[in-house]
Amino acid sequence: MSLVNKQKIPLSQETMDVDFVRKVEALSGTSVRRCFQCGKCSAGCPMATFMEHPPNRVVRLLQMGQWQRILAGRSIWYCASCETCSTRCPNKVHLASIMDALRKLSWDAEGASKESYVQLANKLFLQNIRTYGRQYEMRLAAVFNVRSGQFLKDLMLGPKLLAKGKLKMFQSKNKNMSEIEKIFSRIEDMRAKGEAL
Amino acid sequence: MSPKNIMEYSYYPGCSLHASASEYDISTRELFKQLKIGLTEVPDWFCCGATPAHNVDELLSLSLCAKNLELADKVEGDLAVACAACFSRLKTTQHILAESPVKRKQVEKAIDAPVKMDSKVKHLLEILARDLGLERLAAAVKKPLKGLKVACYYGCLLTRPTDVPNLDCVEAPTIMERVIEAVGAETVAWTHRLECCGANFTLSRPGVVIQLTNAILDSAKAAGADCIMVGCPLCHGNLDIRQKEIEAVYSTEYGLPVFYLTQLVGLAVGLKPDKLGLGVNIVNPTPLLREKQLL
Repeated sequence: MSLVNKQKIPLSQETMDVDFVRKVEALSGTSVRRCFQCGKCSAGCPMATFMEHPPNRVVRLLQMGQWQRILAGRSIWYCASCETCSTRCPNKVHLASIMDALRKLSWDAEGASKESYVQLANKLFLQNIRTYGRQYEMRLAAVFNVRSGQFLKDLMLGPKLLAKGKLKMFQSKNKNMSEIEKIFSRIEDMRAKGEAL
Repeated sequence: MSPKNIMEYSYYPGCSLHASASEYDISTRELFKQLKIGLTEVPDWFCCGATPAHNVDELLSLSLCAKNLELADKVEGDLAVACAACFSRLKTTQHILAESPVKRKQVEKAIDAPVKMDSKVKHLLEILARDLGLERLAAAVKKPLKGLKVACYYGCLLTRPTDVPNLDCVEAPTIMERVIEAVGAETVAWTHRLECCGANFTLSRPGVVIQLTNAILDSAKAAGADCIMVGCPLCHGNLDIRQKEIEAVYSTEYGLPVFYLTQLVGLAVGLKPDKLGLGVNIVNPTPLLREKQLL
């Protein structure tokens, strides 16, 4: 049953995917059942205006086991990880960790949003770490613009930043690059064997 | 320990300080040299993974930070961290790995080494305010920042999250104000000290950053601040590099120089502008500092 494209899902035994919610709780180390919907997370969330489901509703949808509605949308990709929600929750629901868990579970979830520029930026950021050991800001911005088709984005900033030495044209590679590659490949290996989350 | 130094730290600058935040790196090294605090850069440190790593892969994020803690352990002293995001990630990693034996085991397998749990991770503010102490800091002042009204901007990650033992009170921190008042500046009370600037959305969704950052600049200006002080390269990038753009979008004029805390404290202890990287800031701070007779 493809529930993803529907705006609303009736509440029933069939639509309540408790297994998924348990995965979220295990990954995030926090319980969604503790939330009593006071809305303090959404009140303080700087990104709530950009989300179709503000943070408290994300938790409510999880309580009802309707994760598809969350993953199909952009809310989790507009979370800035500022942790205001986790800080202010009176019930110690660690919402920022729930957002991390949802983003991770969206990797191979059917119908999850894949279009986001945020996902592209994250991917390039991690690729840079694997290749250079550190961030290479110039390359990150340039490749992002090409891959997202926004060739002119922030073009006016470039020369100014270069003149100030804020952008480096060349990045020296870290001396122990083999170490970082080992970390990446060990994690891939552990995942393939089912030894890691 | 070099005999002339009163304290020694290992130093984790983070990626930005080697590029877009070079003035933070320069001013940190010069300020600490002046205060006789030794900084030894962790050899071959890696990116901490920042927000993108924990956003998509917690195990990778924890492993990168654990690896850095292992590298830092080879250098004498507690670990001094300049960037608020690196600081938050390294502290959070220690906290998560102490709480969860399962995650710790996975991370130890990924980095193929035992996790170092006992090293202390400290932000520069903590070193200035607590380890050195405000009295000793005040005693080092040669040119008090008299008459300079500073809006101290914490952003998100310096004080959060609440369950990780951290820098200061999570909702009403004062550590930045205490440090900058100790060197003679005035601080303003304002509304957006702890509001998010949009951080790394500056790459993927700059429109979001412009909207959030405008509110921060507006609040600082309305409170009568002459300038903003930060302890995070991303906050600085968004407030400083994008300020002209924000002014154009909202048809307004802020003209608020944005300083790293080490630049302002460095100025007060008598360092010359070229040692503080003041020429690198995008919003030119020279007219303001001349007006206040600090240059």
